[in-house]
Amino acid sequence: MNVVPDVNAIDHLRSLISSSRGARYVEARYQARLTTEVNFVNGELERLRVVENSGCGIRVLIDGCWGFSSTNNISSLKKSLGHAKSAARALARTKKNKVRGLADSRMAVGTFRTTVNGSLSDIDIEQKVKVAREGEKAARSNTAVKTASCTYREMLDHKAIVNSDGADVEIFDSKPEFSVAAIAKRGGQSATAHEGAGVTGGWNDLFKKSHLDYALTASERAAKLLDAKHVTGKKTTVILDPAMVGLLSHEAIGHTVEADFVLSGSVVKDKIGQQVASELVTLVDSGRSEIANNAGGTIIVDDEGVAAGRIAIIENGILKSFLHNRESALTFDTASTGNARAFKYSDEPLIRMRNTFIEPGDDKLCEMIKETKQGYLIKGARNGQADANGEFMFGAEEVHLVENGEVKELMRGASISGNAFDALRSVDMVGDDFQFDIGTGYCGKYQPAKVDGGGPHIRCIAVIGGLQ
Amino acid sequence: MQDLLRYAIREAEALGASDIEAYAATSAESEVFVENNDVKQAKSQSTSSIGIRVLMDGSVGFYSVNSLARNKIKDAVSMATKIARVSPRDRYHALPGKSKPRMLSGIYDKNAESFAPADAARMATEMLETAKSYDKRVSVDSGNFSANVGTHILSNSNGIELAERASVFSWSIMGMAIEGSDISNFDFQLGGSHSVRGIKVRAAAIEFAETVVNSLGPLRIESFKGEMLLTPAAVNEMMQETISHSINSDAVQKKSSHFAGKVGKRVALDMLTVEDDATNVEGLGASSFDREGVAHHRNVVIENGVLKKFLYNTYTARKAGVKSTGNASGSTNSPPSVSTTNFVVRPGRSSLDTLVSEMKNGLIISRFSGNVNPVNGDFSGAVKGGRLVRNGKVQHAVKEVMVAGNVFEALRRLNGVSKERKVLHDSILPYMRFDGISFTAG
Repeated sequence: MNVVPDVNAIDHLRSLISSSRGARYVEARYQARLTTEVNFVNGELERLRVVENSGCGIRVLIDGCWGFSSTNNISSLKKSLGHAKSAARALARTKKNKVRGLADSRMAVGTFRTTVNGSLSDIDIEQKVKVAREGEKAARSNTAVKTASCTYREMLDHKAIVNSDGADVEIFDSKPEFSVAAIAKRGGQSATAHEGAGVTGGWNDLFKKSHLDYALTASERAAKLLDAKHVTGKKTTVILDPAMVGLLSHEAIGHTVEADFVLSGSVVKDKIGQQVASELVTLVDSGRSEIANNAGGTIIVDDEGVAAGRIAIIENGILKSFLHNRESALTFDTASTGNARAFKYSDEPLIRMRNTFIEPGDDKLCEMIKETKQGYLIKGARNGQADANGEFMFGAEEVHLVENGEVKELMRGASISGNAFDALRSVDMVGDDFQFDIGTGYCGKYQPAKVDGGGPHIRCIAVIGGLQ
Repeated sequence: MQDLLRYAIREAEALGASDIEAYAATSAESEVFVENNDVKQAKSQSTSSIGIRVLMDGSVGFYSVNSLARNKIKDAVSMATKIARVSPRDRYHALPGKSKPRMLSGIYDKNAESFAPADAARMATEMLETAKSYDKRVSVDSGNFSANVGTHILSNSNGIELAERASVFSWSIMGMAIEGSDISNFDFQLGGSHSVRGIKVRAAAIEFAETVVNSLGPLRIESFKGEMLLTPAAVNEMMQETISHSINSDAVQKKSSHFAGKVGKRVALDMLTVEDDATNVEGLGASSFDREGVAHHRNVVIENGVLKKFLYNTYTARKAGVKSTGNASGSTNSPPSVSTTNFVVRPGRSSLDTLVSEMKNGLIISRFSGNVNPVNGDFSGAVKGGRLVRNGKVQHAVKEVMVAGNVFEALRRLNGVSKERKVLHDSILPYMRFDGISFTAG
């Protein structure tokens, strides 16, 4: 199954942009996306669908006002540009704070392809149904597991971006994901375990570990958690796994440094150049898959045509940069960090994260455990919430008691909470390992975005509390 | 357009499908966003799409494409049959037979066709200015105004051929009041209408401004047990999802509905009557037929506190051995699921003023921010825009109050439903008062 790429799309965009008059800036983005989704629940097919979505989004800046229009009809781009212009002009009289302009950026030119091991288009739909069906069945292999769900989902994108400042790019991207949930039950008690991966890459990049391995791991863990004891709430030493570090970096730190959020009064607004974390902490957002391959939030070029490279948000504990698009970059008198992203052709680009992580340090995980007298090893990031001031509360799926330098019993899932900046200030050990591990997640901010996060294991102080 | 759908059905028949459904939609939309006390961006979009569902030997295949070009439809049909061949069989899959819906009037206003981005900008600005001029302490964080005209067309191989056009205007406003270091709780108001005449952005703006100003100067209170008066917005946040989930046949069949096995039994005090009513044109969820072409009608789900029925689409109805209630839902990009259309709570006998004046000791809650578990009904979270009422008089705004309880237990402690109701997009809700609720000081 394959999207037949509209080979002429980029030509349509080029002629539209070159003939456009009367706007300070014009941008046209074509995107064709093929989404395949298979979901099995308790032995039954819950959902199987394939959706083809393509069209063009046009954004113009006229008299300091943004206008945006989208159409699924690539042969009516002129008309759509007219709509974008009248949308912008509709605001000209009432908008008070006009957009001053866009920061100069080097515009990307060329064709970019995600490297894939095993093209998703070459894998028959039957195979995609099979992994979800077998995964769900295997997740119920432990007799304690009463309910299971398994999903395979992929997005294949063909994009073209042309703008009046010189961007001229075509992008071919591939993002598959696989996830399993197992719920064990006994009496009134229940425990849930999740496993899975979401990558930028191909079929073999996703299934480095077999689909059955993911499922069996989830099944066994759910059963074990059923017998586990609850933790007692307290502020204590915690060792966070890469997924938890990724969630903390994205949710509790990353959002506070998005420039649009900074402009509406985020807690970090006056803190560039200040120490906000332990000097062991370097926290990065990158469009590339740094350190490890196939990070789920990888984009090569952002949706304003700017190369999406690495940006250190915190370097050795010092707050170094916010995350920018070209508009906010001009406001802050800096350069775009390539964080402008749109989910679909019909969405306008917003400041979004990509792969957000803490860089590895020198400590071995075994040393971290050995040097912990009393604390918890926390694994398996679940959903969480974070506020504008860095206050967060995340769920963790499994918690291991650590006593006198040894990992002791498995405990029930728990919440960890605190202020993210306080937690990062308390970091005293940073592992030498590294993993991206929140690639099955989507970040929501008016529109979804595929993001990833990770890091090494780190040791810090946080509040642990009972959950479920 | 019907020609294209007939074409899709013929193509699928030629490929061996036994049952075929083609569902297409076209829409044109203008929207203006508000952010940080200013208009932010104007947007216009037009789109069309089709979803093809085929049955072959009891297996279903689904493919969707956002194009109505003949060659794209042909490919979509061929892909849908290919997908059906790799799907497991399920004997409950079927398409509904022909029915004759009574076509609603009042969901399409031809004036919507000439509603331009400039008109949307004017509405967004009027909403913003109304809120700002109500009180200078009001700060608008975000909001929007959108105007949409859309057409839905459905055909299936059982002879259903239906089409309907609707216009929808909707708006929202969110923010707080600021006085020195006192920042009020957030409030969020929304509204909607099918007609240009029904656009009432000023009402939403004034209600928003009034709520945030009223929640300035909050005082701490002691923990107590007392009455809780929820605004329609708070009813929506605290109660609606749990009730909607519990009356959904899909949840019943997956054993996650608290109401499973309770049809004919009492689930609330008798002042509660809940309807799912797609024929109420005040609600934005109004339409003449559902996602599968089954005629819409009013479904009384809970009548005077007694559970009457669950909501079904054709698939879940066949599983349960009953008739579809016309609750197949979803867009062109997925096969039909089950959901409410307009969620309507019937008005009570008391005025809002009476409900307040009868309160001995309790809180009025404008919004609820927290977690609700729709399966077991437990809720816990923060009271937003809360005001203390003693002996029938509003005393002052409160701060840092948590409320926790259970929706199903609360429905049995319902002791007041207002005459006044609000339309919140596809919900039509009164103010509701409950007794014996625990409030915890933070």
